[in-house]
Amino acid sequence: MITTATPEWLLQPEVALCPCGCIGRRRKANFVDKTLQNAGGLLLRTMFAEDAATRDGLLQRCDARAKLAGGAVLLLAAALVHDVRVLVVLYLLTLAVAVASKLGAKFFVQRVWLFVPLFTGIVVLPATLNVITPGRIVVPLGTWFGYHLGVTSQGASSAAVIVVRVATSISLVVLLTLTTRFADLLTGLRALRVPRLFVLVFSMAYRYVFVLLATVDDMYTARKARAVLDTRNTKRGRQFVAASAGALFGRAHALSDEVHHAMLARGFRGEARSLRVARVSANDVVVVLVAVVVSIVALGGDRVLR
Amino acid sequence: MHIPDGYLSPATCATFGGAMVPVWATAGRKVKRVVRSRYVPLVAIGAAYSFLVMMFNVPIPDGTTAHAVGAVLIACLLGPWAAVVAVSVALFIQALFFGDGGVLAYGANAFNMAFVMPFVGYGVYRLASRRLSLTSPRRALAAGMGAYVGLNAAALCAAIEFGVQPDLFRSANGTPLYAPFHLSQTVPTMLFAHLTVAGAVEAVLTFGVIAYLQRANVPILRINHRGVAETDAELTRAPLGWRWALIGIATMVVLTPLGLLAPGRAFGEDRARDLNAGKYGLRVVPAGLARYNGFWEHTVLRSYGFGAGSHPAVAYLLSAVVGIVAVSALVLGVYGLSRTLSRRNARELA
Amino acid sequence: MSCVDTVMELRSVSYQYLGRFPALDGVSFTVGRGERVALLGANGCGKSTVLKVLDGLVFPDRGSYDAFAVPVTEDALEDDQFVTAFRSRVGFVFQNSDAQVFSPTVREEVAFGPLQMGLDSPDVERRVDDVLAMLEIAHLADRAPHQLSGGQKKRVAVASVLVMNPEVLLFDEPTAALDPRAQQWLVALIAELHASGKTIIIATHDLDRLEAIADRCIVFSEDHELVADGPTRAILDDVALLQRVNLVHDHAHVHAQEPAHRHLHGRGHHQLAG
Repeated sequence: MITTATPEWLLQPEVALCPCGCIGRRRKANFVDKTLQNAGGLLLRTMFAEDAATRDGLLQRCDARAKLAGGAVLLLAAALVHDVRVLVVLYLLTLAVAVASKLGAKFFVQRVWLFVPLFTGIVVLPATLNVITPGRIVVPLGTWFGYHLGVTSQGASSAAVIVVRVATSISLVVLLTLTTRFADLLTGLRALRVPRLFVLVFSMAYRYVFVLLATVDDMYTARKARAVLDTRNTKRGRQFVAASAGALFGRAHALSDEVHHAMLARGFRGEARSLRVARVSANDVVVVLVAVVVSIVALGGDRVLR
Repeated sequence: MHIPDGYLSPATCATFGGAMVPVWATAGRKVKRVVRSRYVPLVAIGAAYSFLVMMFNVPIPDGTTAHAVGAVLIACLLGPWAAVVAVSVALFIQALFFGDGGVLAYGANAFNMAFVMPFVGYGVYRLASRRLSLTSPRRALAAGMGAYVGLNAAALCAAIEFGVQPDLFRSANGTPLYAPFHLSQTVPTMLFAHLTVAGAVEAVLTFGVIAYLQRANVPILRINHRGVAETDAELTRAPLGWRWALIGIATMVVLTPLGLLAPGRAFGEDRARDLNAGKYGLRVVPAGLARYNGFWEHTVLRSYGFGAGSHPAVAYLLSAVVGIVAVSALVLGVYGLSRTLSRRNARELA
Repeated sequence: MSCVDTVMELRSVSYQYLGRFPALDGVSFTVGRGERVALLGANGCGKSTVLKVLDGLVFPDRGSYDAFAVPVTEDALEDDQFVTAFRSRVGFVFQNSDAQVFSPTVREEVAFGPLQMGLDSPDVERRVDDVLAMLEIAHLADRAPHQLSGGQKKRVAVASVLVMNPEVLLFDEPTAALDPRAQQWLVALIAELHASGKTIIIATHDLDRLEAIADRCIVFSEDHELVADGPTRAILDDVALLQRVNLVHDHAHVHAQEPAHRHLHGRGHHQLAG
């Protein structure tokens, strides 16, 4: 039974909720929506999912210090190699290591090519044209306003080198972060003589990205729950972003105060101390040696092929 | 603006990484002195905040996205040195977990976004907000203006960094070994994107946050503005002429990079001819145009001269060092000037 | 010389937040060794501030504070020896576990305090293992804080304090935002710690569990003054007092005839403490 006191409008079904979407105009999610959905999901998955790091694979068995040092050597080698064939071999090598580390070839390739290389590809594409990189035209693209346009061999090879090099570099970094638990990564950084204070700040920044993200999510959910309409890219949308960024800073600052007290209460006086790190094992030395040998071979191959 | 690995030569990366070491050391010392043991949580959570601000992506028409860096915002709230550390850590997280910005290129990215940007932006903000009360609407505008200028200064640095690559590092048959775009292409492209969309995003965000805090949380603004009067009523008014002069200077700072459009060939050729500055009443452009025109042509000729590969590394390192010194001098100059002025200001008020 | 049995003494302490907003006004009390004291009051009455003063995190604008018969001042805490002794003798479990648990793993979190005290790594490792086993969270040792539930985080926070074996334990709203089972566990733990001779001071507005966690109550008004100090039972029976300090609704009813069936309509449970 419906009581007579209930106002008429409350009993009307909401027009905007018409299931076929015929009455309420459907709106595309705006950038705030997307950013927060991305920020929420993607960020949590890429930064905080450690399931890949706990699998029993090749790199997971290596020490973080060895991986950091070896990775740095290989990154440098990739930056110094100029022959596209050598770079392709290096890239395939990272792929092989990913598979050996049980990351799944498809997942790994997606993860690497999702972020920057696609963007890099788009950026580099115009550089293949003779407008940007003069040289021998191999693919003529006709004449535009009296100008002979075409893809030059120099342009194409330079674009290929860059795309493969970016992919290889990112693969190396992704290999490291996917197979290493964050806490081990920190231990590795500490062992490589990165200043302790920086490591402490870095670890706490990582920790509080998670905490603050929950705050952002709350603010956004609260806003979305209230505002039925109008989350589009309007003035109010911008005001909301600015206000939530401002409120977030207020929260962040209050949190830093609390954390400071919690640290002080347990004897912190600006000096960072940590548990002693285990000694380097023979395995770790082998990992670094392999990285060095691969780098030397790559650079040697680059010389010979040039 | 995050330069990935592979765009810059290892020599460039090493140069900028080396340049950042003393900056980081100084930043660590300065911030620690101000807030002592509070330094760690404050800067760590500042970094987490900065990281989240960078997640706000805005699509721009060419298919890529731009996002605010928040460096000037953090500089306004916590001071420029704290911004150096906070943004550096945020960039480090992005490089490691998202492949956004390279690991080898970390030094260069940090130089642009964690050093040039907060200091240039903060300098402009200080100049433009002199003698303004803490809750004055114009202070929020000054912050937005600082953010706009700071972001474009950072973009300009990034454009120069990868714009010099094809001239300095190319193989015998002329194939560029790293970033293929020439300065005359990178500078206008980067600045176009940042002068229009990204700069506006950064400015709106910074303005909005400061304006919000002025309404909702003034004590937060106090962290970095100790002696500033809270309302206009508590303030002795400054003569108007000064402020107009400062706004003029800031406008010039914004417009100066336009001079770089001049030496362009592909993108810039028509524009340089079209750029009838008088038509827009921009008296400042011709001076910058003439100066930079000559400057860049000079550089270009030099590197073409070296083209065959006699001493490219030496020439490169030299120009890199000159570039760093020049930009650092500019950055510290703007910051120092604002410091001196505000100090004198404080003395006058006292 | 003060009495050996007095561990903490506040004398007319006043404190203003940010130098402007009053948080404490002329508060005086002493806490004896082995006592179990609740600081009672509505949100914003200053009870959290009292804990911060007792832990040497903020310092009174007026009045003085002695711990273990030694004045605790900002200058005194600059002294290496004093700060080490003080921090290891007084432990603080914060209300917000997210603020307290700031390290990358549980093990490092618990090790943080002893390491700051200058203990050797092997010593610290042993202590950490012991306290993790005691609180039944050894299996969480290598977890990151974001992989923990609220109750688990609270256990880690408590472990990170207990590992320093403090004589005095300060708890700020310990049962807030915990599920009933975790609340029960914490109440039992506090009783156990008290039985082993620890001095316990708890800021709370949870009237339901008050008798289980405290023998003595110190009540603060919303004007940041101390208005009552007495045995828990006597304070709970003084409904007029509890109404005056806004801890119960005006229409609160106490079944005076059946003391076993007491229920007060506490205001605090429904709100997040601030």
